[in-house]
Amino acid sequence: MSGWHLTPAQAHDYAARRSDEITAMSVEAHLMHCAPCRTLMPADEQWLADGWASLRDVVDRPRRGPVETLLSLAGLRAETAKLLAATPRLYQAWLGSTVVVLAAALVAAHVMPRGSLMFVFLAPVVPLVGVALAYGRGVDPAHTLASVTPMAGQRLLFLRTCSVLVPALLLCTGAALLLPYTTSAWDAVFWLLPSLALVAGSLLLGRWIHLSAASGIVGALWLAVLGLVSLSGQTVPVGVFAPAAQLWWGVLLSALLGLLLLRARTA
Amino acid sequence: MKLFRRAHRRAPSYGPDSADPALLTAIAAGEAEALEILHRRHAPWLRARLNYRCSDPDQVDAALQETFLAVWKNAGSFTPRPGDTDAGAWLWTIAIRQLISQLRRRANRWISDIEAEPYETIGDASAEETVLLNIEHGPLGTALHSLSPELRAAIQATVLDGLTVREAARILQIPEGTVKTRVMRAKARLREALTS
Repeated sequence: MSGWHLTPAQAHDYAARRSDEITAMSVEAHLMHCAPCRTLMPADEQWLADGWASLRDVVDRPRRGPVETLLSLAGLRAETAKLLAATPRLYQAWLGSTVVVLAAALVAAHVMPRGSLMFVFLAPVVPLVGVALAYGRGVDPAHTLASVTPMAGQRLLFLRTCSVLVPALLLCTGAALLLPYTTSAWDAVFWLLPSLALVAGSLLLGRWIHLSAASGIVGALWLAVLGLVSLSGQTVPVGVFAPAAQLWWGVLLSALLGLLLLRARTA
Repeated sequence: MKLFRRAHRRAPSYGPDSADPALLTAIAAGEAEALEILHRRHAPWLRARLNYRCSDPDQVDAALQETFLAVWKNAGSFTPRPGDTDAGAWLWTIAIRQLISQLRRRANRWISDIEAEPYETIGDASAEETVLLNIEHGPLGTALHSLSPELRAAIQATVLDGLTVREAARILQIPEGTVKTRVMRAKARLREALTS
């Protein structure tokens, strides 16, 4: 536009709300398209710094990932959602090895005679290993810090167990679907109840000893029993997963869960 | 696992002297420093102008805060017209809308937030509005003097501030129909004064 520009005095008057209405309108219309005149507006450094400080407060907050957004959409509280979303990062190595182990089991099942036994042995143990790495001194690098927060203890343990179980169970189900003899949905989930029972057992045992040790004991017991059964010539260790046995697994699981809840209540 | 981590988008280089569109591109790429430069450049005049619309400095500050947060979130939606190196009009549009929703929130907390209206740069004005936007030149100033304060306020809200009739009604606290008639009467009065 032509030569008209604000004088410093006009700018000061305007900023101090001393301009009359018509001048104010002119100034505003001019400021809209004249950047040099805008710089004439007196800037209150203190006010600018304060404004930016509180803006920075919001701007610097980490953006929420898709998992976290999904979880908080599902009705979880913001901090719980963040915790659950962040936990799998702690076990990236475990997640990777789980994929490798399950892939190996699948290959064995497809290539070797009776190779699917390997999957049968492993499927319930995989989530257990994850839980073993979920909580405790020596496993979590930030355990000392985490243990003094109000979240620590049972609550954190259960939250982390859940966040480990979900990917573990999903991976195992996916692998089970790829087994050579999978024909029905039943074949994909036969290991689920034993697996959950093992996890619940190790959590209960973890009340008295270190969680990793507890999971180790429970896992070793499971492998030992299955090994003995298959070595003693029983052709079908899969009998452990038969519908009748599933009933017993279900009873065991609910008993263990009941005990866990009871202990958590009294703790 | 690093493979899966979101690669940081390359932000264009920018500095305290960069033009607004370059800064906004950087902000869209997540550069907080670019937002700081933009804040330093535009907050003072926006504050001064908002102060004429609302006498409560706290509300003005809150509206400004919301404005720059909106910029942080929506910087990608800024599309400069060709040859335009200035985001002043766009920022003003956001700021005045934020002020309106701020005032509204304060007044009726129980009414849900106003439905978001898209931020459009004002400027695609009709011929007579273009004349009005050049107030500082020519005889328009004297013509405006002859208007009553009510008519002037209506013109100011709709033409200068670029508000819709609905928004103007909200900030002036009069019904929408009244805004319309006042704007029409004011324009007729101005035309008369300018052509006679």
